[in-house]
Amino acid sequence: MSDDLSVQAPFPGVFYRKPDPESPEFVQVGDDVQADTVVGLIEVMKMFQEITAGVAGKIVSFEVENEGAVSAGQVLLVVR
Amino acid sequence: MSASTAPAGTLYSHGGDEWIVVQLDEAMSLDVNLKAQVITRALADLDLPGVREICLSNASYMVRLDPDVVNPAALVEQLKEIEAQSTDFRSITLSTRIVDIPVLFEDEWTAATVKRFRDRHQRPDLTDLEFGAELNGFSTTDDFIDAMVSAPALISMIGFVPTVPWGYQLVPEDRQIEVPKYVRPRTFTPERAFGWGGAFSAIYPVDGAGGYQLFGLCPAPIVQPAQTLPDFRDSYTFPRPGDLFNYRKIERPEFDEVRARVEEGTFAYRIEELEFTPADWFARPDETVASMKELLYGA
Amino acid sequence: MALRIQQPGLMTTVQDEGRSDGYRVGMPPAGAMDKFAYRIANGLVGNPDGLAVLEATYLGPQVEFTEDTVFAVTGADMPATLNGEPLDAWASHTARAGDVLAFGFLKSGARAYVAVAGGIDVKPVLGSRSTYTLCGMGGFEGRPLVAGDLLSVGSGVDGTPGRRMDRDLVPAVSGAVELRVVVGLASYRVEPDSLAAFFETDWSVTPDANRVGYRYRGGSVEWVPRTQPRGAGSDPANVVDIGYPVGSIQIPGGSEPIALLNDAVTGGGYATIGTIISADLSVVGQSKTGDVTRFVPVSLEGALAARRDAAVRLERARASFSS
Repeated sequence: MSDDLSVQAPFPGVFYRKPDPESPEFVQVGDDVQADTVVGLIEVMKMFQEITAGVAGKIVSFEVENEGAVSAGQVLLVVR
Repeated sequence: MSASTAPAGTLYSHGGDEWIVVQLDEAMSLDVNLKAQVITRALADLDLPGVREICLSNASYMVRLDPDVVNPAALVEQLKEIEAQSTDFRSITLSTRIVDIPVLFEDEWTAATVKRFRDRHQRPDLTDLEFGAELNGFSTTDDFIDAMVSAPALISMIGFVPTVPWGYQLVPEDRQIEVPKYVRPRTFTPERAFGWGGAFSAIYPVDGAGGYQLFGLCPAPIVQPAQTLPDFRDSYTFPRPGDLFNYRKIERPEFDEVRARVEEGTFAYRIEELEFTPADWFARPDETVASMKELLYGA
Repeated sequence: MALRIQQPGLMTTVQDEGRSDGYRVGMPPAGAMDKFAYRIANGLVGNPDGLAVLEATYLGPQVEFTEDTVFAVTGADMPATLNGEPLDAWASHTARAGDVLAFGFLKSGARAYVAVAGGIDVKPVLGSRSTYTLCGMGGFEGRPLVAGDLLSVGSGVDGTPGRRMDRDLVPAVSGAVELRVVVGLASYRVEPDSLAAFFETDWSVTPDANRVGYRYRGGSVEWVPRTQPRGAGSDPANVVDIGYPVGSIQIPGGSEPIALLNDAVTGGGYATIGTIISADLSVVGQSKTGDVTRFVPVSLEGALAARRDAAVRLERARASFSS
C-alpha cells in the first residue's frame, strides 16, 4: 500500500515494546501515533534508546516481536 | 595451533603482534610473584627498544611492545635470557616501601552494599565478614579481622580497572586467607571499599561493579586524578607493584579525621622505604613481619 | 570556534590515538576503535596526526558549527547531510557558521568519525584526549556527549577543504567479519577438538558489544579437566589472575566469548585463548550487533605481515588524497 509508512530500527539491538516487563506496551495495533510518540525501545551496549514513530498515523502492524533482535534499517512497525 | 597440554614450566605466548604474556606458573605463590617482580624490574632496567609497557601480574607478567621496532619472537628470546639469568628469587633484595593503610572494618557504607546484594551471595544469611570468618575457621569476626591485619600484603598486580591493588599477604601458606567471589557480581561497590577474593585483598578505587567479599572501607584514596594530595603529585595513582600494604584496623573517629584531612588536601600516607629480602621472611616470617611493622610504626 | 551538540546520537565520544602508558596500572588505551577511519579523517581536513575527533557509534549526532571551518566524515556508512543536503563521506568540506551536520540511518559498519580542522580541543589526560567512560576520565568531561554540549576546537590549522580519498580504498564492510587471531595464552585449557570447533563456528555479535569488549554467541568450548591450581578459583574457566592484552579473547563459563578492546579491563581471572591481531582491531570496531564473526587462526609471522599490509594501505590512502 502506498499509504503505508514504516518505522525502522535506526541501529541494531534488541527491540522492546514495553518500558519494563511489568508495564503495558507503549502502543498497540490500531493506536493513533504522532511523530514524537514513543513506540518502543532498542537496547544495545547496555543502553536503551526510545524509538519514536517519526510519522503520524494509525499503527497497522508490528513486524518485530517484543525482545526480538533487529538489524539497522529493519522495519519495526507499519503506520498508515 | 598450540597443543592442549599444560605447560611444564614457563609459558611464553604471543598476544597478537603487540603483546607477550609470560605465565611463570599456573598456581599462585609468593615465590612465583617474586620471580615476576624480579624479571619485570630487570627488564625495565634494560630499557629495551620497542618495549612500551611492562605489566606485572600475580604468577605472570605481560609486555606491550611495538612490533615496528622489535620483532616479538626476538623479544621472547631476550625475555627467556632474563629468566635464565635470575634463579634465586628469595635471596634478592627488593627496594620497596611499606605503607600504613587504615581500614574501617564493618563500616556502614559497605555494610549497606553487602545487605543490598545478599541475593548474589553464597550465604545470604551471613555478612561477608561472617562468611569469611566461618570459611577460614575463625570463631569470631574480630579474630578474622586480626588475621587480615596481622601481616602486610605484597602488591602482586595492579589492574582490572585503573589502580586496583591486588595484595598477597605475607603469611605462611597454611595461614593464607581464601574466600570465593560473589556467585554473581554486584552492580555497585562503594569507592575505597576493602575486599578479598581468592587469596587476594583489594581496594576498589572508584564506585563500580565488583565480586570480592566486602569487609570495610578505607578513608584515604588510592587514585586522585586531580593530583592535589602530596602522595599524588608525581602520579595520579598511589599503589606500585611490589609495595607492602599494611592494613590497620581503625575506629570511626580516626576514619572521620582522615577523611577531613583528605578533604583539606593535607593527608599523606605513612610510608617507610624498605629493603625486603624474601629469604629472611621465608626463614623467620613472624619476626620479619614484626620488624617491618616496627620500621613503620616505631617500637 | 566550537561545535554545539544538538543531538548526541547514541554514543558519541571524543577520541584520538589513545594512551600509550598506563596499562601497567590498569589504565586501558581507549582511543578510536577504527584507527584507519580516524587517521584518514584527520588527514582529510589537514590536521597533523593525533588530534581528537568525534566517534559516533550506531547513530550519528546532530552538530552545529558555530564558525566557518573544514570538516570530514569517515568510517561507518551513515549517510551524512549538511543543512539537509547529502554530503560525501571520505572527503573534506567547508562548513559555515550555523551549518548543521546530521546523519541518516546506519547502512553498514558501526562507527563514524567526524574530524574538524584544529581537532576537538579538550584537556589531555595522561597524554591523550580520548574518553574512557568506565572511569569517567579524559575526553569531554569523561563521558559521552549530550545535547547542549559546546566543544572547543583547536586553532592553528587552516583546513584543507575539498580533499577526497580514492573511493576504491574505502575498506569493504559487510555483515560477515573475519578476525585473525594468534592462538595461545591459555588455549591449552581447551580440549583440542573444541578449540578447532571454535574456529569453525559462526559467532554472532550480541547487543553487549561496546568499547570495553564485544560479547559473542554461537557455541561453547570444553575445558580440559584439571584440579584447579592454587589461587585460580573453582571454575574451570578461571586461571590465576593474569594480564589481558587488548584484543584478547576470553570465554567466561565456556560460552559467550568476549574480545576485549580499547577500553579493556587490563587483567583478571578468565582463561584467554588467543588475541586478535592489531591489523584487525579496526575491523572489530566496524562490526556491529548481529554481525556474523569467524575467528581465523594466524601465525605470528602472518600477524606481522598483516600489520605491514595495513600500514601500506594507510599510506596508499593518504597518497590518494586529491582536491
